[in-house]
Amino acid sequence: MGLNEGRLPGGGVTSRPGGLPLVGAGGPTFLTTKVDFVVNWARRNSLWPMPFGTACCAIEMMAAAASDFDVARFGMERMSFSPRQADVLICAGRVPYKLAPVLRRIWDQMPQPKWCVSMGACASSGGVFDAYSMVQGIDTIVPVDVYVPGCPPRPEALLYGLLMIQEKIREESLARHGEHRAEDPLRAGTPEATEEEVAGLTGPFGNSTRQNRVGGLVRTDRPDRPDDRQP
Amino acid sequence: MAHRTVEYAVSRSPEMGVTGEPAHAPLFPVDMPEPPLSSEHMLINLGPQHPATHGVLRLVCELDGETVLRVIPHIGYLHSSFEKLGEYRTWNQVVTLTDRMDYLSPLIYNCAYVMAVEKLAGIEVTERCKVFRVILMEMERIFSHLLWLGTTAIDVGAFTPFLYAFQEREKIYKLHEKYTGARITTSATRVGGMMADIPDGWIDELKAFVAEVPRTIDEIDLLLTTNGIHLGRTQNVGMISGEDALNHGLTGPNLRASGVPYDLRKDNPYYDYETYDFDVPIGEHGDCYDRYLVRMEEMRQSVRILLQAIERLPGGAMDVADPHVTLPSKTDCMNDMESMIHHFKLIMEGLKVRAGDCYFPVEGSKGELGMYLVSDGGGKPVRWRIRPPSFVNLSVIAKLAQGHLVSDLIMINASLDIVLGEIDR
Amino acid sequence: MTEREPALARDSALDAVEAGPSAVSGAPVRLDEASASHPSVDALRARFGDAVRHHEVSAGDQHVVYVDAARNREILGWLRDDRAAHYDLLADVTAVDFGAGRPLQVVYQLWSMRHRRALRVKCELPLSHLVIDSVEPLWKTADWLEREVYDLFGVKFSGHPDLRRILMPENYAEGHPLRKDFPLRGRFSRAEQTRRALSQDPHDHYIPAELEIGRDPQAAPGAPRQHPEPPAKRPSTNRPLTRGK
Repeated sequence: MGLNEGRLPGGGVTSRPGGLPLVGAGGPTFLTTKVDFVVNWARRNSLWPMPFGTACCAIEMMAAAASDFDVARFGMERMSFSPRQADVLICAGRVPYKLAPVLRRIWDQMPQPKWCVSMGACASSGGVFDAYSMVQGIDTIVPVDVYVPGCPPRPEALLYGLLMIQEKIREESLARHGEHRAEDPLRAGTPEATEEEVAGLTGPFGNSTRQNRVGGLVRTDRPDRPDDRQP
Repeated sequence: MAHRTVEYAVSRSPEMGVTGEPAHAPLFPVDMPEPPLSSEHMLINLGPQHPATHGVLRLVCELDGETVLRVIPHIGYLHSSFEKLGEYRTWNQVVTLTDRMDYLSPLIYNCAYVMAVEKLAGIEVTERCKVFRVILMEMERIFSHLLWLGTTAIDVGAFTPFLYAFQEREKIYKLHEKYTGARITTSATRVGGMMADIPDGWIDELKAFVAEVPRTIDEIDLLLTTNGIHLGRTQNVGMISGEDALNHGLTGPNLRASGVPYDLRKDNPYYDYETYDFDVPIGEHGDCYDRYLVRMEEMRQSVRILLQAIERLPGGAMDVADPHVTLPSKTDCMNDMESMIHHFKLIMEGLKVRAGDCYFPVEGSKGELGMYLVSDGGGKPVRWRIRPPSFVNLSVIAKLAQGHLVSDLIMINASLDIVLGEIDR
Repeated sequence: MTEREPALARDSALDAVEAGPSAVSGAPVRLDEASASHPSVDALRARFGDAVRHHEVSAGDQHVVYVDAARNREILGWLRDDRAAHYDLLADVTAVDFGAGRPLQVVYQLWSMRHRRALRVKCELPLSHLVIDSVEPLWKTADWLEREVYDLFGVKFSGHPDLRRILMPENYAEGHPLRKDFPLRGRFSRAEQTRRALSQDPHDHYIPAELEIGRDPQAAPGAPRQHPEPPAKRPSTNRPLTRGK
């Protein structure tokens, strides 16, 4: 019906560059635009987050979903607890090594296109938990697109992080889809970071170590016991 | 596993009989006994990432059809080594760890920890500090119960109470923020006092909140207490007798719902709780519904305590006037050397706490929250142990869920009011 | 705690920091006759004699009694059942490692609902022999609490029905984390810890009893379950894969 009355010979163009196409009353009932634009517009405004909430940040994530902050304004109120239907993994909270394979598996189960938000200091770097049981940043386990700092971040910060994901989607192009979204199926279940990168986290650094040495008040004499390494 | 196999005596087409004549009944089973119905047990893994487990709890269930035969809980998916980290921090630095443990009621944990240190060190805090901590702890009880209420309501299919509860919680978040600067990780207490005195206007905002919150509780009450779906999902589900509950170490609302009137605020009072006028609600049946009722009533009682505490909040100093524990004022630090060194030593070495050990229980929002501290007289704890209420409460889930349906298991888990940060520590 | 020490003059504040806060009025804790003895401890002494090693008062008014580790279940059972003691709530079971080869303490916190009285019972175990009787038959509370002590300290509770790790993974190979000789960041490097965490077989997450659930009853009990072979993995390159260029 778009070509009735001969008003738009050859197919009219009514989209503004970079903006939403305008179709007024009585105007043409079709529009032309870039496929990239439409696909990205649809993708970024209907993101389904997979809330991987573990600790304090999960409570702030719930606050972001509740009425005061209302993540629904950005089309993300549909929390998808099933990774198979999710687009954005929000890792909110600390991740111990015991949970790391779970996180990796959920990431592997999510279909492309997918993005990952690391919410909070613990997810991004281990935070104050520089100890035996904690993953020092989930970017050693899964690829991360946006880091949201804070302990925990305010809901506004999480919303800002999600808006940055939207910005990132806006830049993508279907022509380079393979490049952006390729994933080696054989790397499923393996750490994201290289051995060297993870090993770099080993050395004594960070606040807690130094405070331990200055204080020296915790008795850390090591009695020699042969069975120590045996669990 | 039984396969129900039935063979049909039809050769080629429904219209044709075996010998080719038309058949009126095209399909007829051969007369053979039907094998008895039976089922096989099934393994269902719930979690660690599941919306209804309230965190990273993992429940492995053995099911017969939809009936739960056995539940084996697996925890530790959030083990963050709090107790080990505490041994590497000075007494005051540990405070920042406590509120990351139970992020649903952080101030109760802040208070409980410093109360234990003060008990061990023999420090008596000022009257103003005592009353203010009572205010904070009762506020947190409402804070924690509201979140429990909202998430539990979601588990039985009601979304509205969640939104109502979070509106009230946002008010407490604002109170947190006005006093401590943080919404959840408050770290408000210090040994011998608080991080700061009460800011101007804070009490007025608290009064406004206290005036409003009973209305919201009543609204949620209207939505749930006589709601047929809610009754059906909670009554007679997960019952436990008082004796069993005690033997399993349940404390807090879970124990009181079973009819045992054990509340540390009454039985082993601290901070003059015996002088406040409040009631301890007791359940009768020990099922999910009674646990719900007990928590609803506890919020109302907390409002009562808050009103009394606001009335009696005295003036005066917040911190003890004791150079062993309290930092010199900032003005002094900037003006004279001794105060500067004093400040430096207290910060870098930590205050010293006499050798010994101390177990200090308070009535947390989830039960008996005990802090067990061991000191060797130095600036750091030798051992910092948290007696985790929801860890012990959760251990009973295997007993509670036996014989119920899977959907009841979700309700039972929700009614125990667990927080994984404190279970796994 | 009626009178407090007045604020010290500033030049003596530094000495005060050195000394650390003492009890009320700077004097060591003095106990009057009533608080120096505890009725349950006296009763324990009368009944068990030498098995009650030592009694002390800590933090002003908290009574601690050290008992023979070999008779812990007997003594705790008596404390629970005796009408005059009646400690019906086992609040906590934990352990303390002081390091430097000192014996490890297992600590029981008891509370009596009827008498509103608390008691702390400690048993000392030499590091070379960390075995003690489980009190799980007395209180079901002890089930998980003892598992936690086993997990974090390595104390073996004989008679416990299901003694396995609770917080750390079942196949955690670095030891018992809350021991003083355990380094804060664990014994392995971060790379090794990450590799171990992610290279677990899915069946490591289940205990054998769970893997028995739903097994074909015809199969021989204990026979390994047949699993399809996992697809062969080629060694990971750890490089981002690019396609379509």
